[in-house]
Amino acid sequence: MFGIGIAKGLAVTFKHFIETYLDDLKYFPRRYSELALESRQSVRGRGLFTVQYPEQERPVPEAFRFLPFLVYDIQVEGDTTRHVIRCTACGICARVCPPQCIWIVRAQDEKGKPLTAPAEFHIDIDVCMNCGFCAEFCPFDSIVMDHEYKLADYERQVGHIYDLQKLLRPAGYYARIRPTQYAARQAAKREGAAKEG
Amino acid sequence: MTSPSEQRLHSLMLPDDWRNMLATPINLVYNWGRMYSLWPLAFGLACCAIEMMATFAARFDLGRFGAELMRPSPRQADLLIVSGTVTKKMVPQIVRLYNQMPEPKYVIAMGACASAGGPFKEGYHVVSGIDKFLPVDVYIPGCPPTPQALLEGFLRLQDKIKRQSIFEVPWYRKQERNEAIPIPLHGPDLIDPRRISAIKEELARQRAAYAQGTSPGEQGSAVPSDKAFKLPVWDITPLPFAQALAERLNQAIGDGCVIPEKDILVVQPARLVEVATYLRDAPDLDYDLLSNVTGADYLGRDPRFEVVYHLYSTSRGGGPLVLKARVPEENPELPSLVPVWPSANFQEREVWDLFGIRFTGHPNLKRILLWEGFHGHPLRKDWREPYYEEPVKPFGSRWPAGHYQSAEARTPYNDNVSYPLQYPPGADWDPELWSPPEEELPVVDYRDLPNLHISTDKIVVNVGPQHPSTHGVFRMVLTLDGETVLHVEPVVGYLHRNHEKIGERNSWLMNMPYTDRLDYLNAMGNNLGYAIAVERLMGIEVPERAEYLRVIMAELNRVFSHMSFAGFLTNELGSAFTPFLYAFKERELILDLFEEASGSRMMCNYMRFGGVANDVSEDWLERARYLARERLPRKLDEFEQLLNENEILISRLKGVSILTPEKAVAYGITGPILRSTGLPYDIRRVEPYSIYDRFDFKVPLLHNGDLYDRYLIRILEAREAVKILNQALDQIPKGPIQTGKKAWQTRVPAGEVYARIEHPKGELGYYLVSNGSSNPWRYRVRSPSFINLTALSEMCRGLKVADVIVVLGALDIVLGEVDR
Repeated sequence: MFGIGIAKGLAVTFKHFIETYLDDLKYFPRRYSELALESRQSVRGRGLFTVQYPEQERPVPEAFRFLPFLVYDIQVEGDTTRHVIRCTACGICARVCPPQCIWIVRAQDEKGKPLTAPAEFHIDIDVCMNCGFCAEFCPFDSIVMDHEYKLADYERQVGHIYDLQKLLRPAGYYARIRPTQYAARQAAKREGAAKEG
Repeated sequence: MTSPSEQRLHSLMLPDDWRNMLATPINLVYNWGRMYSLWPLAFGLACCAIEMMATFAARFDLGRFGAELMRPSPRQADLLIVSGTVTKKMVPQIVRLYNQMPEPKYVIAMGACASAGGPFKEGYHVVSGIDKFLPVDVYIPGCPPTPQALLEGFLRLQDKIKRQSIFEVPWYRKQERNEAIPIPLHGPDLIDPRRISAIKEELARQRAAYAQGTSPGEQGSAVPSDKAFKLPVWDITPLPFAQALAERLNQAIGDGCVIPEKDILVVQPARLVEVATYLRDAPDLDYDLLSNVTGADYLGRDPRFEVVYHLYSTSRGGGPLVLKARVPEENPELPSLVPVWPSANFQEREVWDLFGIRFTGHPNLKRILLWEGFHGHPLRKDWREPYYEEPVKPFGSRWPAGHYQSAEARTPYNDNVSYPLQYPPGADWDPELWSPPEEELPVVDYRDLPNLHISTDKIVVNVGPQHPSTHGVFRMVLTLDGETVLHVEPVVGYLHRNHEKIGERNSWLMNMPYTDRLDYLNAMGNNLGYAIAVERLMGIEVPERAEYLRVIMAELNRVFSHMSFAGFLTNELGSAFTPFLYAFKERELILDLFEEASGSRMMCNYMRFGGVANDVSEDWLERARYLARERLPRKLDEFEQLLNENEILISRLKGVSILTPEKAVAYGITGPILRSTGLPYDIRRVEPYSIYDRFDFKVPLLHNGDLYDRYLIRILEAREAVKILNQALDQIPKGPIQTGKKAWQTRVPAGEVYARIEHPKGELGYYLVSNGSSNPWRYRVRSPSFINLTALSEMCRGLKVADVIVVLGALDIVLGEVDR
């Protein structure tokens, strides 16, 4: 009979409609709780699927990459704390960067001998393609891909050229957003040091 | 200080405290109303547009903020989300759309490209940010920004509106109201009418410098002598099969018409058509599919240019036969192969456009990616774009003394433009006196249609490049007789992002993330094809686990691509989003897996030469198994129940636009559309790559070749993909995921390769030439979407206008791949 096909299709949409409310009952009365968010967003979820951003946020996985940042360690010696930038200005990140958006000035001592530290570090985030090569190939684990994506703003000419100050984050932050990677790289570092020692 | 509007308010003789008392509640209501009823224009440019659509879909649902209504007309919209790369060909249309929007209006620059040119900034056809032309309210960084980042940008815009005051906003004041922005023009390069006097001054300065002999002047005058321009050379001793075939051809056609070189045949240009016809017609050869045509520039060698043809036989399967024809630098010309294989049509136009090689006998030899009148042929090795820095990356200016300098600051015009001193050649170019030539309307050879009784005047109707159902920035010029279509002229290039020019400057590895942005719905597939091509040149193996991971990723991508195809197609039929929303729901779950494995939802950058970037956890595999075993089959059932028997769908699709297998092959159509005509040609079977020979799957085949079969075959193929997924997820072994050590510098032995994979859209091929250094000499992407478009006019002839949209939808093109 003409119309059966359409009716069958409508049955599918009706099923979707009902499922949302059945699912709501399951989480009654707190249908927007953390638990509900997690299970409704998973492969086993059914019915309503919306993340109530900005009240709720969909957490990003550890591997998530947005823009790079530079890591510094906090060293405590007696009463003084020092911030030690891990970057040695070896330039691998600048050379592997596909759109060439990283600019590094290597520091020099008074005689003009190159030092293993950056004097300037710029990233043009409006050219960056978030590919993650810089972090992947950094031998010192000093450039890492950030999770922060809420970066929308009203101006780009100055604010979107990140300099050294804007790029620096403590190692603790790194350990917090990428625990597995941090642990693995630290272990590799210790192993390397042990071999040398 | 009181502003004019405040003075006007004073003139109403209101006491101060009254005015203050009124302003706050009025602004509150006024801003509240505008904030929560932002109506975005249904307008997307590139990859970011897909993430924008995801933001409108079920998971993120921008409708919650009062932006439910995406308006197809700028007259009804007040928010322009510039989502993706702005190209020089497209920017006049964007400015026009903006001018047509009524005040108050807002612009969001979504993603790196719209903000400042992004990764494609250095390209010769990319505008360095939409803010060069339009006032931008909010910039959203990211490539692409995730849907949540777009929502954040949207909230920032609402914040901005919240702070405005009805007494201050410019659109109620006559003297402050914005004038329409002048439309940029297409000359030898993009011309901003507001800057014509500055351009003139700079041209005068350059002419003076040229007259004094201190400036090189015109393009192409300096031949680079850099080591990056070491010509590629390799052993050319002919292989036995090439030797035998060459002898046979020399006997049949005439001595000396073909010279074998390794596994290729170098054909004398004058005999090209004869050789091609022989190869096509000899029953035991049967090379019926001309898959790839491209040029290559061997600067410094004589003859300088080369045109390469890759032929396949659909009846015999197996690898390609490669033909080459060499042409000199002076007046490069070749006979066109369109009469032998119509599939050469667009590709020869592309070679003309980018290399400047003419094809005699071509029915319509016009520029295809750039506009008619652009100065120079960009893929020539000595052609330099405005932001040219060095022949190859990495650039020396980045390290160790990498003082930041924007690309604009290095050019005389402070922008991504360059103008020749003489244009057209022989005459000094004056931007003031110059006006763009009128666009030629297509000339059609009139054919009497058998079912046409009333004779009416022919009219030309333009569809696109901004049209909600052209899958992005694609334009069709329809010639109509009444309601019947006589001819469709596809106009492409609105998203030409110079992949190949940038790719030849990049190192081998740097191209990997760029491939993500070709067919931005299938990043994993693009990665796979490129990785396979380079691995074949390098001769390296891939560990077992990595092979399985590659197959799993590629097939997950295929399922999603085919499902969203059905969503897009039904949108074009007017189904108001239901299948699209269902498809995007599954896409989100697949992208969750991609994001966890690779770090990015869309731009995965997951494959490496000899392996993959990251391993996946057991938990990941478990979820993928659930998806492949339980969820996706169930969802595909649902899809079929939703659509297969729908009477409206059937009456719109069945028996419309029938394509025969012979015609499909002649036009170079590959992939699902070819199989829907009844020709079982699947590269995973006829020329297996990766580990596809291990899996048990069928190649779905339908025989009608109409639109309904083009829809159904995708669903059937998605089911087969799920089958492969299940097997791969069960069999995946433990072990390493990378051969050798991961290296950021890759040297690839000199040689050339054409590797192809079965992409969801058809045959995706990479033609690479290496000169043994760390950068490709030639990097060419044979994209299925682009070549499938060759047959669009043929498929549409005699149909109604409404059907053209559906035919285009059933082709399933992605503009990132069409225009590259």
